[in-house]
Amino acid sequence: MTLSERMLQIDRRIIFLVIGLCTLLPLLYPVGLPIKITSEVRGVYDHIESLPEHSVFLLSIDFDPASKPELYPQAIAILRHAFSKKLRVITMTLWVSGTGMADQLVTQVAREMEKEYGKDYAFLGWSPGGQAVIINMGQDLYSAFPSDYGGKPTKDLPILDGVRNLKDVTYMVSLGAGKPGVEEWYVFGKDKYKFEMGGGCTGVMAPGLYPLLRSGQINGLIGGLRGAAEYESLIGQKGKAVAGMDAQSATHMAIIVLVIMCNAFYFSLRQQRG
Amino acid sequence: MPFELIVGAWVATGLTLLIFTFLYKDNPLFKLAEHLYVGVSVGYIIVKTYDTVIVHLVVKPIVENGEVALLIPVAIGMLMLTRYVPKAAWMSRYAFALIVGMGAGLAIPRTISSFILKQIEDTVRPLLSLTGPDGITFSMDVLNPSSNLNAIIILLGVSSVLFYFFFSIEHSGVGKAVARTGIIFLMISFGAAFGYTVMARMSLLIGRLTDLIEFSDASYGRPTIWLVILIAGALFVLARRRPDHPPDRQ
Repeated sequence: MTLSERMLQIDRRIIFLVIGLCTLLPLLYPVGLPIKITSEVRGVYDHIESLPEHSVFLLSIDFDPASKPELYPQAIAILRHAFSKKLRVITMTLWVSGTGMADQLVTQVAREMEKEYGKDYAFLGWSPGGQAVIINMGQDLYSAFPSDYGGKPTKDLPILDGVRNLKDVTYMVSLGAGKPGVEEWYVFGKDKYKFEMGGGCTGVMAPGLYPLLRSGQINGLIGGLRGAAEYESLIGQKGKAVAGMDAQSATHMAIIVLVIMCNAFYFSLRQQRG
Repeated sequence: MPFELIVGAWVATGLTLLIFTFLYKDNPLFKLAEHLYVGVSVGYIIVKTYDTVIVHLVVKPIVENGEVALLIPVAIGMLMLTRYVPKAAWMSRYAFALIVGMGAGLAIPRTISSFILKQIEDTVRPLLSLTGPDGITFSMDVLNPSSNLNAIIILLGVSSVLFYFFFSIEHSGVGKAVARTGIIFLMISFGAAFGYTVMARMSLLIGRLTDLIEFSDASYGRPTIWLVILIAGALFVLARRRPDHPPDRQ
């Protein structure tokens, strides 16, 4: 058996091992590769940066623990930014399976930024209906969420003073891992109730959302762990996303090398066989 | 450190490592973790949905606030359960008709407006700008999403891809060239999607490995180290008990 034949029949577990090592080693010994800020991530950052204090900022945490590694760092970075700008932060989720995680996330960042529940931020929790919830919120926020996650009537929350429906929201970001997510928020929310909107998504979804970004339907898009790392760099608080970027680069390099090697061995074998 | 955090770390580490054992080969440890994952996810969703919908949105408003009008949607919802009674199953059609009708009515106009009209508008964006003091201006720049060069590329891509899927005309001569251009654009698009998918999967791996590194700390009782040893031992025992099979090539 020639080298090419042996390499083309390599045990897949060796490839898993190579990828595993390429991920693990940079996490243990970070290099600190530079992170270039893209215009799509800057779109969200610049808009939040331009908002005056006490503007109403709605963050929809539309993912569950399965997408946590990519979207959790995005949510942390955006919440830190919004709290530091002293915005009125209203959070919610359209994913029932992500409710507990969303509550933990919001509470953790708010505690870290010393924010008071009800006055500086609120977590409305989950309400059934998917896109119908968005339409309901556009008509009457209090009918979609009569009470917040803790069971407190939403009408009693000082943070919601003057907020009747989605038209009173200054800026909204949906961090979505599927449906309902960014697209539904645009279709049933922004397009109908005319508020400014940005998005965040998993890497798999990003190519599908670029047309919305290009046409100006959303003003920014944070894609995957890389987008989260860019946002962390923008707010100057490097976290888990930035730490993962070295590993991301190393694994991508390993995959590129493997693809080139496989092609080289394939063509070499074809030449040998005539 | 709180006790529940330490327990959580041990459980998370154990389940992550059990799932990773699939990389070696399919085994009972992986199946245990897989079934637990599905069971816990479904259990959580059922409990959360029951608490939010039944308790907070139906029972409490009716009992505490006397909102009896809520019984109408409840009755419509209950009609769906008639699917389980063959003789009364026809009644569920009313509920489904309402849901499908409402869903279609809500989705069709908004989807046409948001995706078809807005995207066509962006695709046929004017290639020349007539604004500004200099009259016609060219602002072609690949890096600028609103530049005219990008508009030309997108127009070319959309047209050629649409032509590729137009099978009423034979793809020969000029048509063949246009269809081939469409294929090239499709390949670039699939390549970009695949690249992002790889990035996403690697991000998930990074997330799990980050947690495993964090939980190898002494403050958690080093669950990563102990559980790696334990699970590797269990895999070794399982491999010895069962006859050797060639590695799964899938």
